[in-house]
Amino acid sequence: MEIWIDITQDVLHPGPVWGWLAASEGGGVNLFLGATRRMTAGKETVQLSYEAHDTMARKEMRRLAEAAGERFDVLRVAMLHRTGIVPVSEASVIIGVASAHRAAAFEASRWLIDELKVSVPIWKQEHYADGSTEWQGEDWLR
Amino acid sequence: MTVIVRLFAALREAAGTDRWEAELPGGATVRVLVEAALDRHPQLEPFRPVIRAAVNDAWAGLDTGLHDGDEVALLSPVSGG
Repeated sequence: MEIWIDITQDVLHPGPVWGWLAASEGGGVNLFLGATRRMTAGKETVQLSYEAHDTMARKEMRRLAEAAGERFDVLRVAMLHRTGIVPVSEASVIIGVASAHRAAAFEASRWLIDELKVSVPIWKQEHYADGSTEWQGEDWLR
Repeated sequence: MTVIVRLFAALREAAGTDRWEAELPGGATVRVLVEAALDRHPQLEPFRPVIRAAVNDAWAGLDTGLHDGDEVALLSPVSGG
């Protein structure tokens, strides 16, 4: 199984990910893109910024990709995360899976993004329209 | 022994630093390091219930033993994706 992991400050483009996944010659390719949304719990976001423990995040993403290869019948797995500022409607993460048949591609993609969100050391900071900023999960401190 | 301590995101902002070297007694565990970090940076105290640790780029429990030269990252709840 082939794996593509990256963490970058550059804009994430799904095209090259699709091209790489398609090279697997499988019948099912699933791409999930997580994007910065405008409204959250009634507050308006101007942009998000992401920070990563880079070396550990890459290792965790690779570990998850390898685990997906064990759990699901997949041919290729791509996990790309962006750091720095991510404006509204731009992608912060791309999860891509190629498999021979579509069920595994759907299931593995869902599993990978769910696992990424609990175990990969990357943090999201909200930048709200009112000028305030907040690391996600900090609200319980207030 | 000497370990490198690293902070990120909210912890980094609260402490006002992203890295320091900590001197610990031989046989110290992650738990000992966390206490030392909270002592050195009391602004981290509110995060005490949610601080987790990684040693040399892998998640580690509080009872994990540390060795000279280890890098320990103290991590607040992650929020990638």
